[in-house]
Amino acid sequence: MAKNKMSRRKFLVRGGLGTIGVLAVGTYLFRNPIRRQIAGALNTADTPYMGDTSTPIIWFEITEENKVILHSPKVEMGQGTFTGLAQMAAEELEIDMSQIKVVHAQSISGNMDSFATGGSTSISALWVPLRELAATMREMLLQKAAEKMGVEKSTLTISNGQVSSGRTEMSYAQIAEGVEAWEVPDTPKLKPVSEMKWVGKPVPRVDLADKVFGAPIFGVDATLPNMLYGSVVRSSKIGAVYKGADISKAENMPGVVKIVQEDDFVGVVAKSFTEAENAKNAIEVIWETTKNWQTEDIRSMLEVGQGTPFVIQKAGDVDDFFGEGSLIEASYWSPIGAHAQIEPNGALAHVEKDMATIYMSTQVVKISRDEIAKRLGMDKDQVNLAPTFLGGGFGRRLHTPNGIQAAVLSKAVGRPVKCFFSRKEEFQNDTFRPPTHHVLKAKLDNEGSIEAFEHNVSSGDVAFGSPMVPGIAEPILGADLGAWRGGMVQYGAIPNYQAISWRVQLPFATSWWRSLGLLANTFAIESFMDELAVKARKNPADFRLTHTQKDDRGERLANVIKKVVEVSGYKDEVVNNRAMGFAASTDANTPCAQVVEVSIENNEIKVHKVTCAMDPGLVVNPDQVKAQCEGAIIMGMSASLYEKMEVEDGALTPTIYGPYQMAMMKHAPKEIDIILLQGADSPGAVGEPPLGPIGAAIANAVFRLTGQRIRRMPLQDHLQV
Amino acid sequence: MKIALKVNGEQHSLEIADENTPLLWIVRDLLNLKGTKFGCGKAACGACTLHVDGEAVRSCSYAVKFADGKKVTTIEGLRNEEAPHPVQQAWLEHVVPQCGYCQPGFMMATAALISKNQEPTDEDIDNNIINICRCATYYRMRKAIHRAAELERDRLSLSTKNIENGEE
Amino acid sequence: MNRTAFLLFIFSLVAFYLIGSNNEASLEAYEVISEEQRDSLTTERAYEQVMNVLMHPRCMNCHPTDDVPKQGMDRHPHYFGMSRGKENKGFSVTKCATCHQEENNLNSGVPGAPHWSLAPSSMGWQGLSRSEIAQRLLNPETNGGKSHEELVTHMTEDELVLWAWNPGVDANGVQREKPPVSEEDFKKAVEKWFDEGAPIPSK
Repeated sequence: MAKNKMSRRKFLVRGGLGTIGVLAVGTYLFRNPIRRQIAGALNTADTPYMGDTSTPIIWFEITEENKVILHSPKVEMGQGTFTGLAQMAAEELEIDMSQIKVVHAQSISGNMDSFATGGSTSISALWVPLRELAATMREMLLQKAAEKMGVEKSTLTISNGQVSSGRTEMSYAQIAEGVEAWEVPDTPKLKPVSEMKWVGKPVPRVDLADKVFGAPIFGVDATLPNMLYGSVVRSSKIGAVYKGADISKAENMPGVVKIVQEDDFVGVVAKSFTEAENAKNAIEVIWETTKNWQTEDIRSMLEVGQGTPFVIQKAGDVDDFFGEGSLIEASYWSPIGAHAQIEPNGALAHVEKDMATIYMSTQVVKISRDEIAKRLGMDKDQVNLAPTFLGGGFGRRLHTPNGIQAAVLSKAVGRPVKCFFSRKEEFQNDTFRPPTHHVLKAKLDNEGSIEAFEHNVSSGDVAFGSPMVPGIAEPILGADLGAWRGGMVQYGAIPNYQAISWRVQLPFATSWWRSLGLLANTFAIESFMDELAVKARKNPADFRLTHTQKDDRGERLANVIKKVVEVSGYKDEVVNNRAMGFAASTDANTPCAQVVEVSIENNEIKVHKVTCAMDPGLVVNPDQVKAQCEGAIIMGMSASLYEKMEVEDGALTPTIYGPYQMAMMKHAPKEIDIILLQGADSPGAVGEPPLGPIGAAIANAVFRLTGQRIRRMPLQDHLQV
Repeated sequence: MKIALKVNGEQHSLEIADENTPLLWIVRDLLNLKGTKFGCGKAACGACTLHVDGEAVRSCSYAVKFADGKKVTTIEGLRNEEAPHPVQQAWLEHVVPQCGYCQPGFMMATAALISKNQEPTDEDIDNNIINICRCATYYRMRKAIHRAAELERDRLSLSTKNIENGEE
Repeated sequence: MNRTAFLLFIFSLVAFYLIGSNNEASLEAYEVISEEQRDSLTTERAYEQVMNVLMHPRCMNCHPTDDVPKQGMDRHPHYFGMSRGKENKGFSVTKCATCHQEENNLNSGVPGAPHWSLAPSSMGWQGLSRSEIAQRLLNPETNGGKSHEELVTHMTEDELVLWAWNPGVDANGVQREKPPVSEEDFKKAVEKWFDEGAPIPSK
């Protein structure tokens, strides 16, 4: 990543009260055209970091208490990124974990990721750049220390942020005090992993205490003096276009300060949340809709063959085998999924004449800022987007019109305005996980090995239509990379295979949902692999192993399969009314294999134990990687067993937890065993890959218990009792 | 309506225009205690769970008028001055939170549970802890709940001993 | 004035919903009892009226035979696995009163009334026939030792029973359906039926 190397130059530092060597408000350099980034990401599946790494000055701040504050351009939504980044930075800064604090970088600092926090890329993409930045910062401090002490830089040693010449000692804080310009040296050599003190250790989350003691760290917690509450009317109907509103009733409701009517929406500003909500409910909006959509309409649009096909993977020629004989074919379905994150989308905006400040939970800091600036007609650097901790992300906060709406309301009243979605609005105006239909075909040879394999996935859009992927990219990409994620065939030893992605444009917004297509695609492919193993009369795990190819990728997959079989004691049989189910997936270069132990009690599918072997490469924080696995497994279980949205009379439904059934405490497996393998020298994807196998693993276990091959999620709904 | 509330040990006298305002908004927006969360407003997710006179209630569905003259405890008031509450201690030990948003509600429900039942079985936990966590931290949470109960048992036996020894 | 406007709006929303959804169940009109009928209310008719109410989901949902409270007109099991618990009031910590207060909550749509709870399991009615329900109702061994007089008081004065005619709105702000007999007629029917010794017609 030569392009990210820092070059020797000077940075002027502007000091602030209470801090010493402080953030410079730099100019943001957008040097990486997004198309190349996406193409690169597609080629290597390793998304590079897309922000400014030219100087540590915008990344680190040193406080009088000799602590280092890391200003993170990646947001913390529970995935533990802040902790991993702190470990990586502390390593090169030669400080104790107690000496580092991580905060969200505000957009005005210039330290912004022009992509997003998502795709399980934060740790992997910053693994080199962040350590280089920290090492550079350390060298800058050493250089200043040498100057201040009047000694050679090479004679200095560092321990816990204290620099010693042998005779005198200075803290980083003392070194940084009064410095007006920093010399940025060439990028120093990085410490080898074998010498690392923090990386690889299960250090507690850096945000643990805030989250245990109830600190006000989330978007909806933000407050400003003189703040008002806003609420925006949203349609419950699919495809509804705003055509104006009758505000006469709402205007006189208690607490109402102003009704704000725009070309595309109407909102209320009131003195309290409840008054804003009540007034909003009294606004009568005229919505124009074209069609009264039903679930059946969506289902028929979605069938493989209806949309636009694009071959995303091809080896050999499957057509030679599918013409005649014993073709095995099956069709799988997955429903619309809601994000259902508990913190509703919202924002606190304060728009003044020359400056706008927006506090919000967002995964796309730069896009949120740019959209708000555009709507307000302000320069981008007049808008400061201050990200907060996210009360869940899961891809929901990659679309942020809520920031724009809060800003518009604030501008209209000249005071800070906070507004957020009601739960019904969250459910009906989500950017859903698209429903999918899969058609799989295969042919086995006489020995029971797969000769030819084809996966068709028909899906609503994921990446396409998203602000992160400009329309111009669509013809270049051909197929929606989010929809086909996890949809390629991972068993490279199959001589003939292909995967085809069918694009269907649905009438409601579908987009990024944790792991994107991985959940549904793996459910379909790995259930079908199980069907083939049964047909071939092979042990399902062994059957997979005979089809993994002999290269690095194939061997890493084979290793997690062997490991999970060994640790779980996987057997293809029913013991004491419990069956084991097996499945594996490879997502963003991270292979993951799972074995579940399942029984059926009172007609309910019950998951007792999950064993998960995953190879995410080098692990920065094993405890948090395990936490991600545990959470992803239960979230994936929830989506596979229970969750579904329907379309009824033009509206998405249900609109509340409960009817939208999700896994709760009583559903969660009591045993989860995570085994981490390291098949690569640097960190890879963690937060999404373990969502892959769980659905198929459960369905495969249910087949063994009942003989029922459930080919539709949510599984519990389709269990015949 | 005038409402008298004792919140986390502090007495408040509030003049409230709409006595049906959910207690949640009084706590969050009037008293500026943001630890109690808004999740659904329909008593479905449990993110707004706090204690009224020691009982867990879902404050988004609890009109402030019902709290008049009562004691309210929120996540901010769960710990005493010396130490984290056993639930918080257990949560720290097991590193339970991920995004953390739903956690105060879970911790308040758990605190109510272990105040009544210091040896909760898995079934007790399944029945009583029915909040929603989208990060799905349930696996660690169950361990932390058992640990919190254990810490509470230790605390109670210690205070019993102290009483026996005449130290209190 | 503002509140009136708000209520009017809610009312119009409800009306809109009812018309828009063409929900026959919701539109089911009260069985109107004319003056003459009232005067000549037969014991059988009174019994039918009483049972029409008891069989309605507003009553039946909290008289389960499987310890699981039910919700809605489709009588689905209460979400989140709520159950009877030891004293008909839910589990030790997460109980009815965790969400249900002494009156309906119009913000959340959570219904409420004094002593919100399930009927005791001896008074489980779900799945039973009318006459079986009536037998349970009248039997002191199942009804908590209540005499006819006490039953009349319970059925005509208990606020939790009468909640059925003030069921509030659901989570979407839509008015819950009331039983098919008005509160007034139900009380009259109860009194008439018990006046006549609460006979259970043999069918």
